[in-house]
Amino acid sequence: MNRLVSMTVNGEPCELSVALNRTLLDALRNEGSLTGTKKGCDVGDCGACTVIMDGRPVNACLVLAAEAEGAAIETIEGLQPAYDKPHALQQKFMEFGGAQCGFCTPGIIMMAKALLDENPDPSEDEIRFALAGNICRCTGYTKIIDAVRATAEELRRAGTL
Amino acid sequence: MNTHERIDRDLSERDFTVVGKSVKRSDTLEKVTGAARYAGDVALPGMLYAKMKRSNIAHARIKSIDTSKALALQGVKAVLTHQDVPRVLHAGSPHPRSASVTKDQYILDERVRYWGEGVAAVAAVSEEIAERAVALIEVEYDPLPGLFTIEAASDPAAPPIHENGLGQNYVLPPVFVTRGDVDKGFGEADLVIEREYDLGRPTPAYMEPNVCVSQWDGNGKLTMWTSTQSAFMVRGTLAEVLGVPLNKVRVIVDHMGGGFGAKQDLFQNEFLCALLARRTGRPVKMEFSRKETFVGGRSRHPGKIWLKQGFTRDGRIVAREARVTFNSGAYGSHGPGVTNVGTAALTSLYRCENVRLEGRCIYTNSPIAGAFRGYGVVQTYYALDLMMDEAAEKLGFDPAEFKLMNAVREGDMAPSGHPIVGHGLVDCIRRVMEETNWHELRRREKPETVKRRGIGIGCEMHGSSAYPGIKEQGNAIVKMNEDGTVTLITGTAGLGTGAHTALSQIVAEELGVPFEAVSVVQGDTDIVPWDIGAFASHTTYLGGRAAQLAAADVRRQVLEHAAPLLKAEPGDLAIRDGFVVVANGSNQSLRLSEAVGPQRGMPAVQLVGVGTYMPTKSYSFAAHFAEVEVDTETGEVAVLEVVPVHEIGRVIHPIAAAGQIEGGIQQGIGHTLSEDYVIDLTDGRSLNPSFVDYKMPLSMDMPSIRTIIIETAPDPGGPYGAKGVGEDPIIAIGPAIANAIYDAIGVRFHHYPITPEQVLNALKTKANETRQ
Repeated sequence: MNRLVSMTVNGEPCELSVALNRTLLDALRNEGSLTGTKKGCDVGDCGACTVIMDGRPVNACLVLAAEAEGAAIETIEGLQPAYDKPHALQQKFMEFGGAQCGFCTPGIIMMAKALLDENPDPSEDEIRFALAGNICRCTGYTKIIDAVRATAEELRRAGTL
Repeated sequence: MNTHERIDRDLSERDFTVVGKSVKRSDTLEKVTGAARYAGDVALPGMLYAKMKRSNIAHARIKSIDTSKALALQGVKAVLTHQDVPRVLHAGSPHPRSASVTKDQYILDERVRYWGEGVAAVAAVSEEIAERAVALIEVEYDPLPGLFTIEAASDPAAPPIHENGLGQNYVLPPVFVTRGDVDKGFGEADLVIEREYDLGRPTPAYMEPNVCVSQWDGNGKLTMWTSTQSAFMVRGTLAEVLGVPLNKVRVIVDHMGGGFGAKQDLFQNEFLCALLARRTGRPVKMEFSRKETFVGGRSRHPGKIWLKQGFTRDGRIVAREARVTFNSGAYGSHGPGVTNVGTAALTSLYRCENVRLEGRCIYTNSPIAGAFRGYGVVQTYYALDLMMDEAAEKLGFDPAEFKLMNAVREGDMAPSGHPIVGHGLVDCIRRVMEETNWHELRRREKPETVKRRGIGIGCEMHGSSAYPGIKEQGNAIVKMNEDGTVTLITGTAGLGTGAHTALSQIVAEELGVPFEAVSVVQGDTDIVPWDIGAFASHTTYLGGRAAQLAAADVRRQVLEHAAPLLKAEPGDLAIRDGFVVVANGSNQSLRLSEAVGPQRGMPAVQLVGVGTYMPTKSYSFAAHFAEVEVDTETGEVAVLEVVPVHEIGRVIHPIAAAGQIEGGIQQGIGHTLSEDYVIDLTDGRSLNPSFVDYKMPLSMDMPSIRTIIIETAPDPGGPYGAKGVGEDPIIAIGPAIANAIYDAIGVRFHHYPITPEQVLNALKTKANETRQ
């Protein structure tokens, strides 16, 4: 039995017909055709499916789509301020080599966004702590940390945070 | 910009405009915006979902399979068992390497050889129904004795896991490598050390689970989107096993989420997905769960290395003898290659003229070991470097100085039989010592506190390309368009390393055009020229050289075409910054678009260059410094800092190269301290197939890494002297950490991973010994 779930995804109202046991991750990827959010483990261990739900980062694989009724969901697809302009985090991840295979990248960028929304001036330890649930197997994290730190600096300088 | 990696430009015989610069990678905008399409993102109209039924026994014959209940489930469209699929013996690791390929797999067999092997597959209208159908398949097994260890399987009385006639469950006949006179060498030795090293079972744990999507068209042609490092190998094996010609199989890889070597193999899923799609007439997706990615994936080869070396008082190595024994798991996969490469590696790194080595690889009823970054050398150099540390202490040398004294040098014979180019290893060790104030750190006071610090150095060398084991080939096509822009069509796979960016830089450099003028076509076996695949640290070395050759061909054509327009000889022309210029300083020039574009109503000249490259071998070198802190109350080892120094020839893209080094260190810290995929030795069951139970170093565990790349020994075989970098870092970090642990607590471990429990037990034993 499917149920109609209404939510806001990247600012747009969205109605998805999903089974009651459908995860938010599967609903976004399949019914929502938003495949930027990745499935690395489906059990909440890897963080590849991190999206922001009502301002808080969540593992979309641990949230039922039905639980997202009325929620505001932000995914990697909604991060760019304009189609031809990457978000500062995306820009810095490109510059600093924060993405290699790229599979963990959308989840890590969303987690970093949630961090910077809450703490515009995180220390290296705070960045590492924020990303503790996001597995990256390619980079050794060095360049990811650099990219997040540089983004925070730039956003502070630009006064957008 | 980036504060970490530093490049020492010791050799700059020419100025580069694009090579050596960290240009914006061509694949990252798609990755950071979520637009990049991976195989699992492919959705086709009418697509079905497939799941595999896996065995719950490690070694058995299948007595019967009852699929009736599964087939009766609403929404199930097809079920396949070993009775429904072609029975063609094929290689799990399908490289065209006559010396090291083992044909020992069927799509589905009537026998299972490890716990979790696929025995049937279902396609249904949803993943959930497919999973329910899998649970409804009833398999009756006739159990066979489970052989889970090298000891059990290599007992002459043990039953064969494969009927290859070799006995003792050998995957291949034992490998022997001999140089000089070992017995004479030991006779001259003042010190002989003999040890056995025990190696765990790390797995690549790439982030993207194995996945493929299959679709057949009306002409009997299969299109497969899959996550593979070697699309042409998948194409070839699918064609061979399914009995279709090569032009009826198209393999597409847009982006892939890591592979680290393992994704050179086929994993049963490609065949089953294709066959289910053919049976149902609908597209089919088959995606592994994370658990399946562990269970049905490939690990590094666990095993044992017995090593004995003789040293003289003045610090020379006069004899080296080793017996390397690897556990291949249930199938051969890369066992032959790993055994050959890992064993032969022991001829080198530290000079020794008298060497006697034996390598064995044994089938067991455990998960399949395959290719994984470092390919046998991680294991053998761990043993070799740890023993060097021990010998240095016994002989009264500083360990770094002792390694420096014995490091291979220019002209020494490498494991491949080639003379080594340059003094890369010597340069790396020296640079590590300078950079870290090694001697000063060694003299530091060591208080007997709860947390104790120690430093260590580990070294390695690794070949770019798999020659001579495999005769490799890379191909590229370069086209110049009539506006002067360039299209590179390459067979090189995009593993996530930034290879296509590096290749574009090489093409731009060769053609004298800006980096932005080059675009890449890749990842489709119907379009790009054949390529052996992305592995063996060779994508830039091999694919880059092929691209360079193709670009050089186009440059020649452009200059020939432009010569009459500039009233000059082609030999007097060059291309710079998008202009064809007369090199004699006459200031005459022509914009490329004018030189190659349509003239007076005539269509533009066709400018297509083809490059084929068959490399031999070059070696890259590294020395890693690690500082650790051992908590003597909990046994935990924290890595505080790593300083990797790598000699990799000409660096094409510094950030991408440093990214390889830092990621390799992460995986190497893992296998040294925490990562071990554990098998229950009573029934062969996997005990930790999840990211919670398989412990990898994450953001909180990773130390600061101060990456240094030196360019002191460019290789004439690589583009502009570039060599490989992908595998090197994971080899050097392990011994650096183990040696640092000894420096901290005075305990030498001879295995990996070194867990907190073992550290505590060793400290207890040591305390008891001291008391007595």
